[in-house]
Amino acid sequence: MEVKRGELVVLLGANGAGKSTIFRTISGLTKPSYGEITFLDKKISGWSPNRIVMLGVVQCAEGRKLFPGMTVFENLKMGGFVHRQNKRELKALFPYVFDLFPILREKKDQPAGSLSGGQQQMLAIARALMAKPKLLLLDEPSLGLAPLIVKQLFDIIQRINQEGTTVLLAEQNASAALKIADRGYVIESGEIVIEGSSETLLNHDQIRKAYIGA
Amino acid sequence: MDLFLQQLLNGLSTGSVYTLVALGLTMVFGVLHIPNFAHGAFYMIGAYVTLTVMTILGLHYWVAMIFSVFVIASLAVLSDRLVYHPLRNASPLQHMIAAVGILLFLEALAQVLWGADYRRMETSYDDVVHIFGLTVTEQRLLILIAAVVIMAALHWFLRKTMIGSAIIAMAQNREGAYLVGINANVISVLTFAISGALAAAAATLASPINLIFPAMGNLVIMKAFVIIIIGGMGSIPGAILGGYLLGVAESFGATYISGDYKDMIAFVLLVIILTVKPTGLFPGRVH
Repeated sequence: MEVKRGELVVLLGANGAGKSTIFRTISGLTKPSYGEITFLDKKISGWSPNRIVMLGVVQCAEGRKLFPGMTVFENLKMGGFVHRQNKRELKALFPYVFDLFPILREKKDQPAGSLSGGQQQMLAIARALMAKPKLLLLDEPSLGLAPLIVKQLFDIIQRINQEGTTVLLAEQNASAALKIADRGYVIESGEIVIEGSSETLLNHDQIRKAYIGA
Repeated sequence: MDLFLQQLLNGLSTGSVYTLVALGLTMVFGVLHIPNFAHGAFYMIGAYVTLTVMTILGLHYWVAMIFSVFVIASLAVLSDRLVYHPLRNASPLQHMIAAVGILLFLEALAQVLWGADYRRMETSYDDVVHIFGLTVTEQRLLILIAAVVIMAALHWFLRKTMIGSAIIAMAQNREGAYLVGINANVISVLTFAISGALAAAAATLASPINLIFPAMGNLVIMKAFVIIIIGGMGSIPGAILGGYLLGVAESFGATYISGDYKDMIAFVLLVIILTVKPTGLFPGRVH
């Protein structure tokens, strides 16, 4: 599997196909038993999670993994943990993420645990952006959200990508994801079974049957 | 009324010591999920280190305290790196066994180094002061003030600095903390260092009004566990409230019921609070 600079690549697969395992391994939360992960010519497999974040590979995990007792603002501040030496630059990022997610500005002094599911997902993405990712990994951001919110979220993901961040997106919601993606991989039991451009995948019979239901 | 206020003041000063010990214990539990039974032994060694540098090197009480704080912080970090860290993927039972092992080791070490005798720590703060009609020793007042200063410093560190907030973040969501780039080892070392430092400070503050002996940590650690269970495991406000609550309850119990039952009160309190509110006063997370 490969993601090129500036791309938006989607990883499709049913529950248990291995999407999250791939993401956890890229982020260093799980050690690979074999195989290799490279980022910008550096072999990062086996690195500790904090070094991977420092290099610019930032994950917004499934289940959001926010700090529920901290306020929205504090969560965002912690998102910039690896850039804590550079206070001015960090401060300048707040208007950017608040601009992407205006609702977070409104709720900035509320504890993250009190937000709705969609707002928590936005906070999770915003927190990941605070680490200034070169590659943003998004693990099922649409999970459990209302269709309208999903559409909003995908528009924002597309905008993040267009503004220069490479995105790898794991999704079950194939039609929405393929609409904004450049390319896609379909995985089953941890193996890539189909790959191709978004149009190819959207028109692929097997995928239409399995993931789009048309 | 005077007796009431007098005992309230005594209770608050005892409670200050309990609180400082319980804070270290609850932080290690909240962040690293280790029930550190050896925490009472850190407390005990802390008292001995202060006493030793005061008598042998002739250091002033406060200087000796700072010295002891650094020694016990290092001891706590050492126990993490040598014992708890290698066990990080082991079952919780193994953490407990390891903790008891460290406790027994340190107690035996104290017997070898300092003997089993009871020792006194002499300070120049044993004068009695009268305020608002109450009689209190200078040492008890110092305990009260020092504990508040230490807690304020801890609060500032955990709330206002990035690295302090990282400790709280780790306690609230471990994987979330990894994903924002917080280094687990740094946080683990830092948490143990703080807990050791708090134990040493508490021991140094309490020693002039108590005696120093190798088993002095046992009752303290049992009470500290009661406090963090009452307060909600891992909760910092819970540890503070629980510590003062226990100190005051003991003091009143000794006065109005009987001094013989003083050490039992902690456990009666535990039974009552767990019956009424089984999750503790501040359940859930580190705040």
